[in-house]
Amino acid sequence: MVEKEDPISEVAEDEEDYDEDEDEEEEEPPVTSQSRMRNDRERMEGLLRRMSSERVPLRVHDVIIKGNNKTKESLIEAEVQALKTVTSMQELLQAATIANARLQKLAIFDSVTVTLDSGPPDLPGTSNVIVEVVESKNRVTGDIGIFTKPEARSWSLESSLKLKNMLGHGDIWDGSLSYGWDQTSEISTGVALPRFMKLVNPVTARVSLLSQDWLKFSSYKEQALGLSLGLLSTRNHDLAYNLSWRTLTDPSQMACKSVRSQLGHNLLSHLKYTFKIDKRNSPLRPTRGFAFVSTSQLGGIFPDYRSVRFIRQEFDLRYALPLGFARAAINFGVAGGVIFPWGGGFVNTPVSLPDRFFLGGNSSPVCSLGGPTSLLGFKTRGLGPSEPRREVGEKAGDAGFDPSSERDFLGGDLAVTAFADLSFDLPLKVLRDSNIHGHAFACAGSLVKLTENSFRDLSFQKYRDSFRRSAGFGLIVPTKLFRMEVNYCYILRQHEHDRAKTGVQFSFSSPL
Amino acid sequence: MDEAIQSEQQQHLTLVIRKACFGLPTACPSCLPVYIYLKFANVPFDLSYNLTFPDSDQIPYVDTDTYVAYNNEKGGVIESLKEDNIVNLDAGVQNLPEWVSTMAMINSWLSDAILYELWVGSDGSSAHKIYYSDLPWPVGKLLYLKQVHNVKQLLGISKETAERREEEIYRRATMAYQALSTKLGEESFFSDNRPTSLDAFFLGHALITLYALPETSVLRGKLLEQANLVKYADKLKAEFLDAGSSSPDPSSSSVPRRGPSNWGSKPKGQPKRERTQEEKSFRRKAKYFLVTQMVAVLVFLSLLGGSDDTEVDADGDDGFDYDG
Repeated sequence: MVEKEDPISEVAEDEEDYDEDEDEEEEEPPVTSQSRMRNDRERMEGLLRRMSSERVPLRVHDVIIKGNNKTKESLIEAEVQALKTVTSMQELLQAATIANARLQKLAIFDSVTVTLDSGPPDLPGTSNVIVEVVESKNRVTGDIGIFTKPEARSWSLESSLKLKNMLGHGDIWDGSLSYGWDQTSEISTGVALPRFMKLVNPVTARVSLLSQDWLKFSSYKEQALGLSLGLLSTRNHDLAYNLSWRTLTDPSQMACKSVRSQLGHNLLSHLKYTFKIDKRNSPLRPTRGFAFVSTSQLGGIFPDYRSVRFIRQEFDLRYALPLGFARAAINFGVAGGVIFPWGGGFVNTPVSLPDRFFLGGNSSPVCSLGGPTSLLGFKTRGLGPSEPRREVGEKAGDAGFDPSSERDFLGGDLAVTAFADLSFDLPLKVLRDSNIHGHAFACAGSLVKLTENSFRDLSFQKYRDSFRRSAGFGLIVPTKLFRMEVNYCYILRQHEHDRAKTGVQFSFSSPL
Repeated sequence: MDEAIQSEQQQHLTLVIRKACFGLPTACPSCLPVYIYLKFANVPFDLSYNLTFPDSDQIPYVDTDTYVAYNNEKGGVIESLKEDNIVNLDAGVQNLPEWVSTMAMINSWLSDAILYELWVGSDGSSAHKIYYSDLPWPVGKLLYLKQVHNVKQLLGISKETAERREEEIYRRATMAYQALSTKLGEESFFSDNRPTSLDAFFLGHALITLYALPETSVLRGKLLEQANLVKYADKLKAEFLDAGSSSPDPSSSSVPRRGPSNWGSKPKGQPKRERTQEEKSFRRKAKYFLVTQMVAVLVFLSLLGGSDDTEVDADGDDGFDYDG
């Protein structure tokens, strides 16, 4: 907190009476407490008048840091750097507030106090700034909960342990264990450094072991041991590097031909840049504003020429239009993505399976921002190019099995989705108060393959025909623990082997 | 050489194996016998290589679009092909006790011996070339170390038992070679004067031992002592593998043709076609390593001798610079 009372009046006195000692107030002639208070108030009002009408010149003589037993002084100094270059009182107040906020943001202190004091008596027009921090006593914090990672598209149970400021550089170490509904499990440990050597931006590093089970959808299991480095992270920009060893296996031994040829070990080394701007008034029920996300990935930047090489670009654009009644709004969204390999002979090489685009799943298109992923009415990985699985039986080619469940979905190289969603409050007050609202929606999406010369077969007509469509209406119930959607979905158009169903479906997502 | 192929299975077969090297269509001990078996049967098939999954027990496999015969099911690819009535060369012999026990001997003693020789008994360069040369370096290295550990566990090799087990493995291999040599005599094949899967298994083992293992290999030396076995291997290689009766898929790498080789002399020079990308990069890395070592020695000597800075003539290409 910036204490504005006495220290500023001390400074104010310095301003007005340059030759006066800082202890001057103690040498004042004894007056009654009321007249003293009156004097102080007058001085304060005079100062504020001066500050609002003219610039009060001031500079900072020294920044004194107290209370840091473990934290390195250089870290705190770097956060309060701006204080040293102020030239006026107004700037000083502003810089002090900012410095306070930045130190609080490091999340390693229990409290931060920035006090403005008058400078040494022989240097008029100066001020000393005292930064007092109280380091967190309890450096280990634990966390356990049920969250939803938007990218996982399902529930996950997570537990994490955080260790703060172990090395004194403001470092935050954390280890976490998460187990997902779709049999995704991940164990990871990471460190976040606000200042790494001379870099101004915070740097994060994370080592994780991830295991994902896609046997039901695409007949493979994925394990990845990875290292990711967050190089730049601001409000709109994010740059990260990821190096991981990925293994695809098929313990069921039922995979189709394309998946069989992709099984094995890969080294993935890619740079990922995300640009995000979200001006909507709410991420869960936007009624106004727009949002745009663009993600670019360049894979294969490892010196070894055998690492997985691809370029992947996806974008997502949203717009919310308020209708002016019953808190109703129409949300529009269009998302697209493309991936293709590079390097010698790229026209004939397929893209690695886990990096492709997959559409389907019950996640709400309004809430999930980040590329083409959801199409209501279609199951997870339920549309797009597919291949028949291995036939097992007395004689190969035996009849009597459900064709759609015996296919592997392979994802695509070019994905496009679009949706329009009208949300509105319901007439009952009780529902309105608990934010339960209704919505009607229409979605369309397409997923096609371009690699291995498939693009030659793709005509405009064929591409138009590849769009699946669905529409429906439903109820959204946000609770403290989760956000539930009950939708009735009608499939307007699907292809022969898609996994889609007309009917009622439930979906759950994170409440925040 | 009667094969029984049912008409409904006469779809085009694809054989997926590990890459070709050392002048063989594949140098992996579990893949080569399957290749040879299909060649014996004169069945047309496409060849496809899997370069990224060295530790999979599903490879080799034979597949059509929806049918797959994996290595880790039903006793192996050859057994699956027999059972599914696609290719069967063993009709009439597979129930003979002598045939069965010879097969068991090859698939246990000789199989263990070649496993030992590839992973433990030699420096690992052959194994690296067969399995890991197409994987990025960190991945290949870790998988190699993992496999060495697995093989040692499988063969019961530990610090205390290493010597004893090695001696036991070689002794059994020698006994097997002698027995097979006696059984073969001057015949062309092991049983019934026609190729069976027994020939496929032994020929696969023999070719890998003779071609893929380094010159200093003990197992290779033991096999060379049985002249008729070596002659058998040579002859069948020339007849079935090098002749290329059913030509492999043009997209796969071709097998270089070679005549009967002279076993007494140094290992034959690698054919020019073998010098692929991996070979070149390996040579480059070896050159760097040698240059580094040389420079380190020179610096040490110069420091020790107290002489002035030595000029290093680095014949390495990339501007390799070292401040002495």
